[in-house]
Amino acid sequence: MRADLSVAVGSLNLRSPVLAASGTFGYGTEVPLLDRRALGGMVSKGIFLRSRAGTPPPRIVETPAGMLNAIGLQGPGVDALIREYAPVWAQWDFPVLVNINAESIEEYGELAARLDGVPGIGGFELNISCPNVDQGGMYFGNDPVAAARATAAVRRRTRLPVWVKLTPMVTDISVIARAVEAEGADAISAVNTFVGMSIDLRTRAPRLANRTGGLSGPAVRPLALHLAHSVARAVAIPVIGIGGIATPEDALEFLVAGCAAVQVGTATFADGRAIECVFEGIGAYLDRGGFRSLAELPRYAPRD
Amino acid sequence: MFQTDAPLVARRQVASDLWVVAFAAPEVAAVALPGQFVNLGLGPDLILRRPFSVYDVTDGLVEVLFRPVGRGTRRLLELAVGETVSLLGPLGRGFQLPPGVRHVALISGGLGVAALRLPARRAVETGAQVTWIHGARSASQLCQEWLGDRVVWATDDGSRGFAGTTVAAVSDGAAGGIDTVLACGPNPMLAAVAERWPAAQVAIETYMGCGTGVCLGCAVPLVAGGYDRACREGPVYLGSQVDWPALPAQLHYEVA
Repeated sequence: MRADLSVAVGSLNLRSPVLAASGTFGYGTEVPLLDRRALGGMVSKGIFLRSRAGTPPPRIVETPAGMLNAIGLQGPGVDALIREYAPVWAQWDFPVLVNINAESIEEYGELAARLDGVPGIGGFELNISCPNVDQGGMYFGNDPVAAARATAAVRRRTRLPVWVKLTPMVTDISVIARAVEAEGADAISAVNTFVGMSIDLRTRAPRLANRTGGLSGPAVRPLALHLAHSVARAVAIPVIGIGGIATPEDALEFLVAGCAAVQVGTATFADGRAIECVFEGIGAYLDRGGFRSLAELPRYAPRD
Repeated sequence: MFQTDAPLVARRQVASDLWVVAFAAPEVAAVALPGQFVNLGLGPDLILRRPFSVYDVTDGLVEVLFRPVGRGTRRLLELAVGETVSLLGPLGRGFQLPPGVRHVALISGGLGVAALRLPARRAVETGAQVTWIHGARSASQLCQEWLGDRVVWATDDGSRGFAGTTVAAVSDGAAGGIDTVLACGPNPMLAAVAERWPAAQVAIETYMGCGTGVCLGCAVPLVAGGYDRACREGPVYLGSQVDWPALPAQLHYEVA
C-alpha cells in the first residue's frame, strides 16, 4: 500500500480512517489477533458513572444479515475504568475514546469531568442513542433540545474531542446533527443500532429477554449509509460512518458519501481481523485509482 | 488463541441425531483443554460464528460433536472432506481435575456429551476411576461413544438402561464414592446436578456472539449477583455459582 490513509478528525490525527465501534471491541484488550497498525482508534464499551449489571439473557439473536443485541450497557463504572483500563490505554499508539452514557444531563457532565485529563483518555463519544436502557440513552437522542443540552454539558467540562453518537430512530436526523454541532460537538458518529424485535414461534414470546434490541450488521448498511450521508450534508464537522461495515467496499461507500472515517462493529465478532482487512482494502482501492492519499478521494457530499 | 482455515478430515454418525466432525487444526489441537470450545465460521451469510465444545483432540485433529438443528449445523453435515471452515480457538475456561482425584462421574444429557469426552480421556490418564452417566430421550439418541471404566445408560422413555433422568440414575449408594462430578447437558439437567452436587463442574451453553469476551452476549447469571461471560470466565462453572432460575432453560437454534 502506498496511499496515505491518515485523517484528521477535528484535533485528533488518526493514522487510519478505520476505528473499532463501541461495544464490539470491549476495552481493547480482548481482540488479540488484530494487527493494530490498521486501527485508527478505538471507542470503548459504553460506560456509566456507576457499574451496571446489564439485561438478563438471552441478549443476542442472529437475524437475516444481522443481529439484535440487548446488553443493557453492562459495565464496571467510571472508577474501575480509570483504575483498570486507562493506564493500559495510555501505553497505546492510537487514541481511545470513551463512550459515555448517563441518565441525566448532569451525569453526562460529571462523567466528562471525571475522565478529563486522565492519561489514556483520548476523547469522548457521547452516547445519546443506546436503545437498551430504560432511562437516558435514546431519549436524549430523540429530541434536539435534550441532545443539545447533553452535548453542552459535556463540552463545558472538557477540552478533549467530543463526538456525539446519534440514533437512527428519528424523523429527521439532520435536525439532531445541527443541534449538537451548535453546542460544540467535534464530530458525529452516525449511526447507532436500529430498534428491532424477533419472536420465537415456539414460545410465542420475544427471543430477547429485553423484548427489543439494537439491530446491526449488513442488514442496516444501506439505511445507515443514507443517514450518515444526510448528516454529512447537514453539518460542517466530520462524520464517522457506522452501520454494517464488514468489507473495504462497505467502508469506501461511507467515505465517498461524505464520512471522514468509519467504525467497524459487528463484523469484528465473526472476524477479529475485520478492521485490518478493511484498512488494507481501502489502501488498495486508492492505489488502484492513482490516489496518493485518502484526502484525494472524491466525495459525493453536496451540502444542503 | 488461533484463527485458522481448517479442512474437514472425517465425519461419523454417533447417534440417530448426532454427528462428529474432525478438522485438521494442529495448533489448536496441541493446546485445547477439556471443556474449552472453538468458534466456527460457517459462511459469509451466517453473521455470527457458532460455538462448539472440543469433543476430542487426536493427532492434530480437533473434533466437535453436533446435532443438525439450524443453518450452521446443517452446513457442518453437508461439508465435504477437504472443504474448510474458519476455526477460532481454543476458547474459554474448561474443567479442572483436582490433584488426587479418585472417582470421576461424567454426567451428560443429549448433546452434552460434546463437552465430556476430552475430560474423560484426561481423567482416565490420571488413573482415576471414571463412570459415565449417559442420558438421552431414547436409546437411538444415546451417543454410542464413551470412555472410562463403566457407563450407566439413562433414557427418558426407558428404551435403554435406567428409565428417568441422569441425576436420578445415580443411586445414593453409587454416589458415595464419587469425589468429582463433571456435567454438560440441558440447563434444567445442570440445575438438578447442581442441586445434588453443588461442587459439580458444569459446562453451560448459551447463545454466543464473539466468543472472545467483547460482546457480552453470552451472559451467565450468578448467585453472587450480576452476569459474567460464558466465553471467558466460563463455559465451565461450579454448579453452586449459577443463578439457575435466571438462566434461560432452553435454547432454540433455528433463529434466522
